[in-house]
Amino acid sequence: MSELINKVTQLLNDKTIDVFIGYEKGSADRIRAAFARTAEQAAKLVYTASCTQNLAGYLMKHEVKKLGKPGLLANVAALRSIMQLASEFQVKDGEVYVLFANADGSFTEFTSFASIEAYLGTTDVGIKSDEQEMIARLEAMSVQERWLFWNKEFDKCIKCYACRAACPMCYCHRCTTDVNQPQWIPVASHERGNLDYHLMRAMHLAGRCVNCGECANACPMDIPLNLLTYQLIDPIKNTFGATAGMKADAVYALSTYKPDDKENFII
Amino acid sequence: MQEFEPKIVAFVCNWCTYAGADLTGTSRIKYSANVKIIRFPCTGRIDFMILMKAFENGADGIIVSGCHPNDCHYSTGNFHARRRWIVFRNLLNFTGIETERIQFSWVSAAEGFKWADVVNNTVKKIKEMGPNENYKKIAVSTLFNEEEIINE
Amino acid sequence: MSRIGVFVCHCGENISATVNCEKVAKITGELKGVEFATDYKYMCSDPGQTLLKEAIKEHKLDGVVVAACSPRMHEPTFRKACAEAGLNPFLCEMSNIREHCSWVHPKDDLTTEKAQDLVRVMVEKVKKNKALNSIKVPVTKTALVVGGGIAGIQAALDIANCGHKVVMVERQPSIGGHMSQLSETFPTLDCSQCILTPRMVEVAQHPNITLYTYAEVESVDGFIGNFTVKIRKKSKSLDEHICTGCGLCTTKCPQKKIPNEFERGLGFRPAIYVPFPQAVPNKPVIDRENCTYYIKGKCKVCEIVCPVKAIRFDQEDEIIEVPVGAIVMATGFDVLKPDFFPEYGYGKYKDVIDGLAFERLASASGPTQGEIRRPSDGQVPKKIVFVACAGSRDPAKGIEYCSKICCMYTAKHAMLYKHKVHDGTPYVFYMDIRAGGKNYEEFVRRAIVEDETHYIRGRISTIYEKNGKLIVKGADTLMGAMPIEIEADMVVLATAGVANHGAEELAQTVHISYDPYKFFAEAHPKLKPVETNTAGIFLAGACQAPKDIPESVAAASGAAVKVASLFSKSELTRDPLVAVVNRQPAPVYSQCVGCFLCQSVCPYQAIEREEIKNRNGEVIKTLARVNEGLCQGCGTCVALCRTKAIDIHGYSNQQVYTEVMALLND
Repeated sequence: MSELINKVTQLLNDKTIDVFIGYEKGSADRIRAAFARTAEQAAKLVYTASCTQNLAGYLMKHEVKKLGKPGLLANVAALRSIMQLASEFQVKDGEVYVLFANADGSFTEFTSFASIEAYLGTTDVGIKSDEQEMIARLEAMSVQERWLFWNKEFDKCIKCYACRAACPMCYCHRCTTDVNQPQWIPVASHERGNLDYHLMRAMHLAGRCVNCGECANACPMDIPLNLLTYQLIDPIKNTFGATAGMKADAVYALSTYKPDDKENFII
Repeated sequence: MQEFEPKIVAFVCNWCTYAGADLTGTSRIKYSANVKIIRFPCTGRIDFMILMKAFENGADGIIVSGCHPNDCHYSTGNFHARRRWIVFRNLLNFTGIETERIQFSWVSAAEGFKWADVVNNTVKKIKEMGPNENYKKIAVSTLFNEEEIINE
Repeated sequence: MSRIGVFVCHCGENISATVNCEKVAKITGELKGVEFATDYKYMCSDPGQTLLKEAIKEHKLDGVVVAACSPRMHEPTFRKACAEAGLNPFLCEMSNIREHCSWVHPKDDLTTEKAQDLVRVMVEKVKKNKALNSIKVPVTKTALVVGGGIAGIQAALDIANCGHKVVMVERQPSIGGHMSQLSETFPTLDCSQCILTPRMVEVAQHPNITLYTYAEVESVDGFIGNFTVKIRKKSKSLDEHICTGCGLCTTKCPQKKIPNEFERGLGFRPAIYVPFPQAVPNKPVIDRENCTYYIKGKCKVCEIVCPVKAIRFDQEDEIIEVPVGAIVMATGFDVLKPDFFPEYGYGKYKDVIDGLAFERLASASGPTQGEIRRPSDGQVPKKIVFVACAGSRDPAKGIEYCSKICCMYTAKHAMLYKHKVHDGTPYVFYMDIRAGGKNYEEFVRRAIVEDETHYIRGRISTIYEKNGKLIVKGADTLMGAMPIEIEADMVVLATAGVANHGAEELAQTVHISYDPYKFFAEAHPKLKPVETNTAGIFLAGACQAPKDIPESVAAASGAAVKVASLFSKSELTRDPLVAVVNRQPAPVYSQCVGCFLCQSVCPYQAIEREEIKNRNGEVIKTLARVNEGLCQGCGTCVALCRTKAIDIHGYSNQQVYTEVMALLND
């Protein structure tokens, strides 16, 4: 812990960064995101086993952008978020100072995209086994059973857009949801509008999702939203050879093609 | 009881399938009147959200058709469309939406017969599948929502 | 509230036989926003169009739907009629109730209902249509021709003779290309130099042509009518304006043993050299890689002997920028490298040469003054084996295509050999003889009948050297694969024509597409053979695929006409059905978030970066911007854009959404 605090204090003091995005204790011993701009604020930073949130999403928030050059306490998902954001020209090399939390509690500095890419190249970025099991369970169902499953789940949705706010890739200033000419997505949170919204979000994240799971974590209604985008990861990898968030100069899977892309449904 | 007449909407590209459907007409090949065509410049232009909207608004089936690979008027639009449909079908299938209700095809400007076949086979298939009940049910649940008023 | 006019055409009986046109007009006339609806026997006829125009004026229509045949047939007709009546032509849409309805369905209520649906869809779409104006793009009436071979020369002369300026860029010290290396040309056996050099001189002297030799295209920016090209003029180490081309330096240069590329390595040249005697411009360049001064730091013999003091050892590459309106790519081809044929001993045995080297041997200006002498010992070969399809049509070698010119030049080589060595025996191993072309088959016949060339159908398995002879082993497939062994004095390989070295990089620099063999790709294989997918860039000659001289010249003239027609007006008019990025007032500026995922889907490189700057000149937002000159209106970017920031005129999100709504909610 003191290693982290000392490091951040030093970074703030020598003006390497203006703000450090990390974790601190919130109410009821819960962990929350912290934005340390001074040594006093840095002293409150913590790093425990509960610190699992992908903080990279904050990089895209305009309130955070206003604070100046950021430093970020990153986990693997955050590293991948940064890579994906870089490939979409949202962050530039050298604009973010990254402190990576190793499994043994030590910290590694990543000062360039190349070093992040090198690290990710040797890291397992797959989805967790319980999530894999859940996807397999759904895939084993009949189409109608799946429809009913999701129908029930989407019925719970209150369109609070917490999933959108938590997602590091949902950085659009104006989401399609908010477009009203035409009104693509119905505003009210009824079954039809909810289905529309979640299908739209999943398609927009296809090939971009870095499987951090923040959308499902944020959901107050406990909808397993992450499965929608997770289950697209393997098909995209297997069919197009693309995995999101691994390289800063990657080309988006859906904005490129191979003349011999394989499909079996077009007659 | 009256036979189920499905509503099918076809999203086609201007350069190949639209012209192919024109040829079906010029050749006086008959096909079912259930299918109505909406013209796009290219399959690359066809947004997946348009397909969602079609289902929502009562389409029992959808046809998406364009130029054969390597024949795209814009050279690569259909390749991009193909990737999009590969992913979209995966997502639909996972959320329990019947992907059989969407027929994707490549119909060139010379394939008047093929267009008639695609239409007739799709109508036949959708008749067998019956109305798009799942979507119709969720549409009913939203009868009294504000959207229609806004759209007016 | 809209004031839309609906015009339902009977098309004689083509529509009215199965669709109740009166009913369609009556029902759709009751739709909200429809001011006027009628049906008429032939809408496209003169009275029909007059009816349309009168109705527009009388009812003050702000939108028109013509329900008739396919818009692919008559959309331009009716849009023009609307424009003549003072209505913006893009406020006119057509419902296709003939090809897509009356002709494909029987006469019943369903067919009429479908026609009503199709009209309703268009009525709703027209409500969302916007008045659009044609896009006008200024045109810089200067053409860039890349490559100074026969194709580039022809294109440049044709364009220049139309009165337009041409900038020609040639990578070598002289223009002329491969044609200048040839001895005689098929099917007439006239001397290549004799027909080419006057053209080369014409290029150099033409008042409309600016020639840059020893230069390469560094970058191309912009779009049709408005390209900016950067050209790297490589240092020639000499002041061209002073040099008189006396050639004294080339004779005094102590470095004399550099293999001469022009002679395919059959002769030598000095370090300061003119590639061949008829070169244009006929002024030398210093090959810095082989010049003693540049290697060892001393020599400067050329500087000492130069009577006008033109040598400039410290001269640097110069980069110049030229604005051009069109580009003709005429960068030609290359032939396969020696390492491709280990089994033929190419590169290993001196007497196994390629076709271009044989051209030099047969050329009166070549290393042997036109005598056929083999490279190893200078003897006159008594038996020559010519191998057609050396690499071509060979999937195992990765070249599946036919190089097209080899059958003809191999027949020519056999003839030239026989004409010069009367007691010699030419053999040709071939797979098929492809001699399509005016007087081509007759030419090959002459080689076989009059010049007694032995044509053997089959491939060669191996070539090896034994007692000063080349033993050629093959099989005659017309004689039941009978093994054949020939003791030859020399072997000439008709090596496959391949894309020129650097073609891929150049295509990327110029932003044009290329095929898997790195030949530049035409926009359409049949109907747009000299256009590329990038508007304003055209192809001429063998950079596109192997071509012979007549074909290259024809393609070059074709490309020149395309350029000339582009230059025939000072402004380019384009349909405004292009994509556009939404713009909003500050501080949002646009829904675009600058992710540029649209950039890589665009087949036309039409998406550019636009930087929004504040008063202090700092970039506060980077947006996508569509270059209207480049966009062709496919809309692939529109479907990909997550924020719906890009939209496309004519098929906008509003329009297609409304169409779906109208179609399904009756």
